[in-house]
Amino acid sequence: MAQPNLAIIGIGEVPTRIMPERTRWDILYEVCMEAIRDAGLHKNDIEGVIATSPQAQPVIAAELAFGKLPEELGLKGCKDNCICNAGGAGTSNCLRLAEQYIHSGVARAVLIPHVTVHSDIPMEDTINFFARAGVDMQWEYPFGSTYNLIMGLMANRYMHESGCTPEQMAAVVTSLRSWAVKDPHSLFYGKEVPSVEKVLASAMINTPLHKRESNRLADGGSAMVVVSAADARKMKKPAAYKLGEAVRYFSGTPVLRNFDQVKDGLRSTAEEALAQAGISRGDVNIWNCYLAYPLAHPLMAEMLGVAPEGRGGEYFAQGRMAFGGDIPWSTMGDAPGRGHTGSGVSAATYVETARQLMGKAGERQVKDCLYVFQNTSGGSGFNNIATIWGREV
Amino acid sequence: MDTTRPMPLTQPWSKKFWEGCREGCLLIQRCQDCQNNIFYPRKFCPECWSGNLNWIEAGGRGRIHTFSTAYDMVEPRFWEDLPYTIAYVDLEEGVRMMTRIVDCRPEDIHMDMEVEVVFHKLNDEFHLPYFRPVKG
Repeated sequence: MAQPNLAIIGIGEVPTRIMPERTRWDILYEVCMEAIRDAGLHKNDIEGVIATSPQAQPVIAAELAFGKLPEELGLKGCKDNCICNAGGAGTSNCLRLAEQYIHSGVARAVLIPHVTVHSDIPMEDTINFFARAGVDMQWEYPFGSTYNLIMGLMANRYMHESGCTPEQMAAVVTSLRSWAVKDPHSLFYGKEVPSVEKVLASAMINTPLHKRESNRLADGGSAMVVVSAADARKMKKPAAYKLGEAVRYFSGTPVLRNFDQVKDGLRSTAEEALAQAGISRGDVNIWNCYLAYPLAHPLMAEMLGVAPEGRGGEYFAQGRMAFGGDIPWSTMGDAPGRGHTGSGVSAATYVETARQLMGKAGERQVKDCLYVFQNTSGGSGFNNIATIWGREV
Repeated sequence: MDTTRPMPLTQPWSKKFWEGCREGCLLIQRCQDCQNNIFYPRKFCPECWSGNLNWIEAGGRGRIHTFSTAYDMVEPRFWEDLPYTIAYVDLEEGVRMMTRIVDCRPEDIHMDMEVEVVFHKLNDEFHLPYFRPVKG
């Protein structure tokens, strides 16, 4: 894979809330204008717009796909526009395509926005969408499968093989929320961090997933402005430089997803991305993992070599990944901490990666943050994209 | 509120599988060129792209690779079934399928449990292959 040549130079984000009166275009105006101003650019400097496709929102998805955003915001220098849809891996593909726009000469600066409003969608429609997304309509859905059940199947097998306990799994929620309560962009900002006992006392959705281990659907949006690494250096502003990337495809249908292949994919993509960035595991200051559900975090910690095999849950239970712990991990709290905004959680994770490297993370700022590992994954986990970002090239 | 039970969205090459289920046979596709057992059914073999595929009758026995029992947050069309257990079952023929585990209490289900197929009639066209614990 060719050496990356991309930098995030501007970020914008609205607080994640349940707020139907805030329209999708309200959010888009706010995050795009904030990101462009943060980049120190004029609106007409944006020459490309590549949006992360909103899920379960066909009207806004069509508007973004068919070019309404540059017109609405008066981006007079825009030369092209499109959206990318790979579910939670959508934003990773926006960034890759932006790199292509930049290096083929289509654009020097690209805007990557995302918006999701769940709160004006009827609950039944939302449940239906998440029951069918990433699930096979012939071989899985008729049996009564849901997204939650797919995660439950994976988590039960992991707990069986590793010996991870329900208390250790619940500690993942406590850990993620400990970051989220200090994040003004989180749905849970300023709220109480639930104890392990409280998580386990919540109702069972499907084994081993308790209600407090699932996600609260919410509304949110974010935007990034990206340029080439060379242009970012010339601008002499805080930036997040893309240094390494590796990816594996697993399967579109969850039942065909070989557990060992997934484990190997998580492990090897991290190794390859680190090698491309020219750094080692010990250089990473933040493991910014996007997994949508808390249940996969202990496994991820093991596959990244952050925790020894079979002891991922133990590390979370010891508070090592929590705010104040010795292993900064998912510093915006992943979807359980941020509130689930569909494909927007991974977009927000990139914004958080940039925020930390730019030194703008406030109370959650990890001191002397030089390198961040970040992953994304699409659908019900059809792939894993590992990236390394740095404060300097 | 939609409580209509969803039917499998079939492809022309999967119809034989569902015909088998109607007749009480669990059929698995087999590639005649590379001898690969295939599930779910495909138009061409995913290993060698041969179109020379036929069907074998599976013994109907397997082991639970993993499972999860649903108590809440499923679509209204599945509410009347709650609680129910979804599982991945590894068949003796070397393929894995999603199914439901029936004819036992959810708390009695465990990893690697031996199970056997039992067909559940949705309508005249579709009988889903569920599994139940092997007795004794």
